Amino acid sequence: MEDIDLLKRRLIREKTARLQAEAILETKALALYNANEQLLHLNENLEQQIRDKLAELRESEQRYRQLIESVQDIIYKISPEGFFTFVSPVVEKLLGYTEEESLGKHFTDFVQPGYRMMLIEFYRTMMVERQDSTYNEFPVVAKNGRIVWIGQTVRLIEKNGQIHELVAVARDVSDRKLAEIELETTQTRLSTLITNLQSGVMVEDENGRVILANQLFCDIFEIPLTAHELIGYDCTEARQQVKPLFTQPDVFIERMCQLLEQRQARVGEEISMANGHILELDYIPIFLDDHQYMGHLWKYTDVTKKYMARELIRRSEEKYRGIMNNMELGLFEVDTNQIIVRAYDRCCQMLGYTEQEMIGKNASDLLVPAEFVEVVERQQEERRKGHAGSYELQLIKKDGNRIWVLISGVPILDEHGVIVGSMGIHYDMTERKQLEQELAKARQFAEEAQQAEKQFFANMSHEIRTPLNAIIGMSHLLFDTQPTSQQREYIDILKTSADFLHGLISDLLDMTKIEAGRIEIHPRPFDLAGLLRSTQKVFQMKLQSRPISVDVMLDTRITDDFIGDDVMLNQILMNLVGNAEKFTEEGQIQIMAKVKKEEELKHWIEFTVSDTGIGIPNEKLDLVFQKFKQVNPQGYKHKGTGLGLAITKELVEIQGGTIFVRSQIGHGSTFTFTLPYTKSLIPAEQKSNSDKQLALVDELKTCSVLIVEDNLMNQTYIGSLLTKWNIPYTMASDGKQAVEKAKSQQFDIILMDIQMPIMNGYEATVAIRSTHNPNQHVPIIALTASAMLDHKSVAMEAGMNDFLTKPFEPTQLLTILQRFAPTTSTDNDGCILFDKSLDRRRLSELYGTDTAYASEMFSMFLTDVVPDLRKMSGLCMEQNWPGLASTAHKLKPTLGMVGLSWLEEKMRHLEKNALQGANKEGLAVYCHDFMEEINKVLPILETELQKLSQL
Amino acid sequence: MRGIVFTELLEMIEDKFGYELVDKLLQESDLPSGGIYTSIGKYDHAEMLTLVTKLSQKTQIPMPDLLRSYGQYMFVAFTRSYRHFVDRADSAFSLLSSVQHYIHVEVRKLYPDAELPHFIIDQPAENHLRMHYISERKLADFAYGLIEGCLLNYGEKATITKTNLVEDGSQVLFDIVKK
Repeated sequence: MEDIDLLKRRLIREKTARLQAEAILETKALALYNANEQLLHLNENLEQQIRDKLAELRESEQRYRQLIESVQDIIYKISPEGFFTFVSPVVEKLLGYTEEESLGKHFTDFVQPGYRMMLIEFYRTMMVERQDSTYNEFPVVAKNGRIVWIGQTVRLIEKNGQIHELVAVARDVSDRKLAEIELETTQTRLSTLITNLQSGVMVEDENGRVILANQLFCDIFEIPLTAHELIGYDCTEARQQVKPLFTQPDVFIERMCQLLEQRQARVGEEISMANGHILELDYIPIFLDDHQYMGHLWKYTDVTKKYMARELIRRSEEKYRGIMNNMELGLFEVDTNQIIVRAYDRCCQMLGYTEQEMIGKNASDLLVPAEFVEVVERQQEERRKGHAGSYELQLIKKDGNRIWVLISGVPILDEHGVIVGSMGIHYDMTERKQLEQELAKARQFAEEAQQAEKQFFANMSHEIRTPLNAIIGMSHLLFDTQPTSQQREYIDILKTSADFLHGLISDLLDMTKIEAGRIEIHPRPFDLAGLLRSTQKVFQMKLQSRPISVDVMLDTRITDDFIGDDVMLNQILMNLVGNAEKFTEEGQIQIMAKVKKEEELKHWIEFTVSDTGIGIPNEKLDLVFQKFKQVNPQGYKHKGTGLGLAITKELVEIQGGTIFVRSQIGHGSTFTFTLPYTKSLIPAEQKSNSDKQLALVDELKTCSVLIVEDNLMNQTYIGSLLTKWNIPYTMASDGKQAVEKAKSQQFDIILMDIQMPIMNGYEATVAIRSTHNPNQHVPIIALTASAMLDHKSVAMEAGMNDFLTKPFEPTQLLTILQRFAPTTSTDNDGCILFDKSLDRRRLSELYGTDTAYASEMFSMFLTDVVPDLRKMSGLCMEQNWPGLASTAHKLKPTLGMVGLSWLEEKMRHLEKNALQGANKEGLAVYCHDFMEEINKVLPILETELQKLSQL
Repeated sequence: MRGIVFTELLEMIEDKFGYELVDKLLQESDLPSGGIYTSIGKYDHAEMLTLVTKLSQKTQIPMPDLLRSYGQYMFVAFTRSYRHFVDRADSAFSLLSSVQHYIHVEVRKLYPDAELPHFIIDQPAENHLRMHYISERKLADFAYGLIEGCLLNYGEKATITKTNLVEDGSQVLFDIVKK
């Protein structure tokens, strides 16, 4: 039973297992069927696919061919021996070789020499090792000679285990190659640069790893590695390692972190190392395309030496700044635009500003008062030219007060020598300036006073001279008024005193002019010998009554005229001879002249004036030429200003000459002076009359003089003199009148005062000289009171012939008249020259030049009047006083008609006495005398009548 | 686990101990498949463990011995079902060498879902073969039996040294030296 159950169970199990197996098989069979179906289908597809692929392949082949042809790369095939079997057309475009030119050639034919063997070796290796594909680059020579870098990929094509051919794709890589070469060069340069840089350089990437460093970097940080070995190191760690090398390790690390965080370039930061070195640190972050942070570069430069040098400079500067600040001088610096760039303490103190207040301001605007701006600008101009200079001006302080400063300005140059500004050193001289101003004020005051004094003096001189002229003149005239011996004595004293006063004032005036530099030399040809003789004559006349001879000794070489200032020479001689005369009691005054040296243009003439006077003591020789020093013995009779010799010396020196004196007490003095003169080629304008004997008044042929003078006293003086000398004259009281009178009548000479109202003497002279009139060439003599030497020259220039200085003595006027007097009366058209004993003036007035009228009147007098006159002696005898009076009255006017003016006077006297009947005896004598005088003059009248009838 | 392993095991138990034992095992064991196996089917390997454990209890034969014997039996079964594998190899070493890279590859073609142990095999000398067994099924003794079966099949004699590389028996080295 159990067996049956067992079997049943087994059967069920078997059956169930079979069903299971069948089910599985069914599934498997179905899957198999489907797979088979698909396989069949696949087969069909495959055939179609193969057909499609074949077509595709053909197309693709076509495309590739086109591609090969159109591609920019050269595609070529070569035989294993290296000969071209196929080249794509690009070759022509790229290298210039046509297909025909290329085919059959060996590939090395195109390769640049120098690369050929290398290439053959390369491709032989490739074939031996059966390398599937290689890449290589080399230069080839294009048809036009250009070098083209080629990069090519070569593939081996094998057939039946044999190398069939090689296929290459080559392209022009020149640009890249060149760029590469350039890059390589740049890289080499850069790496050489970095290696050789005098700074330690390290480049860190963005992750803090060293990517580049140089040996110096390792050396600075005492890293026991080569620069190459350092690459890859962690920088953060490295920094920790090297930080003890710095004096402030934590500060260093902190700064590093700061820089890394900020990522901004920093240069020139200085770090001190524990070993005393100073490093300059540059931190440069590296950004790609400006944004992407790629790390950074550290550059450490050992600047210890530079630092030390700068430190030295800084200390030195500190030292000098200290000095500058402690000096009493204020310094500030400005740039070229006057902007203050630096101001030192002392300067700030001086001006009341702080340095901050001054810096950046325009120095001129801030400190300089308007009136000094120009000075500053001028100085700035000099600075721009690079010149230093010093000047004074005022500056305005902050509080508004002004100070005077002396500024020494110097331009400041930069290292290229370009002017970048200037520095001013200011010395406060306010106090000094105040003192100076006070002094200047005092001086000005003194000068003004002096000037006023001078002016006063000049005016006074002039004012004194004019009346003095009259005094001197009048005192001369007084001698002619038959004074008593007592009166004569008084007049003598009067004259001497007036002369002394005259000399005194002339000398003072001359000195004033010399000191004022108003004396000029006016050279003209003159007769030197004549001038000396003239001087001799003047003194001979003066010394007539004294036992002194005046001699002249002349070098025989002085024959011709010289050119020089004769006026000055004359004054020198007058002074020296006058001086000699004063101190000589008896003996000789000698004037010598000799040629001392003959140069091409100049003749040096040495003049000597020696005397036999009292002499000058040796110790006083030096004093004689000094102003106001008189060396004559106490109480000596001659007084003076003490200016004569000083003036003489000045006059000699003005002309370029020298003067000295030798003397022996009791034996005399010798003054020697030397003057340069030029030889004249033309003779002097007029020969001096001095070699003739001084003519007497009687011989004067002058018969008409025009006196031009505004001063009444002088009019009287000159008029009196001329009347005394019996010279007819006409008076004009100003220049204008003179010019008018000169137009109407001819004169023998014109005496012209200079200072006159309406028209002065110069103007009148110019007018006469320049217009047509009878006196155009008549001598004109200047009468000048105010000035001496300088006015004389002006007179000459105005056309005057000579001059006479007021006050003048009668002889001086006479000398002038003689010099310019007409030589014969016939030469003279101005008047008829009657006998000297007749009243020429009266006659001139009556007849002028009318000789016929004069002749008629003289004839009438002799024939008609003379018989009547003779009757008068009879009347006297009869004592018929009334008859005498009547006759006298009748005949009296006729006497004047023939120039018997003094008889006319006597006739009036006779008439008067006869009428009064007084003094009968006296009257008889008087009458007799009168008749005698008539008899005396009758022959003269007859001679005159004869002369007149001959004219 | 492939059905053939179950069918051949039951076959062998029936051969050695009679169908009664087979029936007893199937009945006494609570098996998800209900004890119904076909050689081309696929079953949970836990059922195998259950059957062999039960068998060991019933027969008083240790598990390793049981499995080793079953391996020898199994190899014979294989020589029937998969003759061409055996024919292809001319020696035991030749066959054993091709287990991982040929036989298991072919098995997977037929049964893509087959779970096979992994072998690392090398041959240090002509007469020396080393097989490194790796499997989570921990049936190295079954493999031992198969190797022995193989050697028997080719009439070859060899010393097999089994070394547990891992305690749980998931990795085992077989050192086979031919005599």
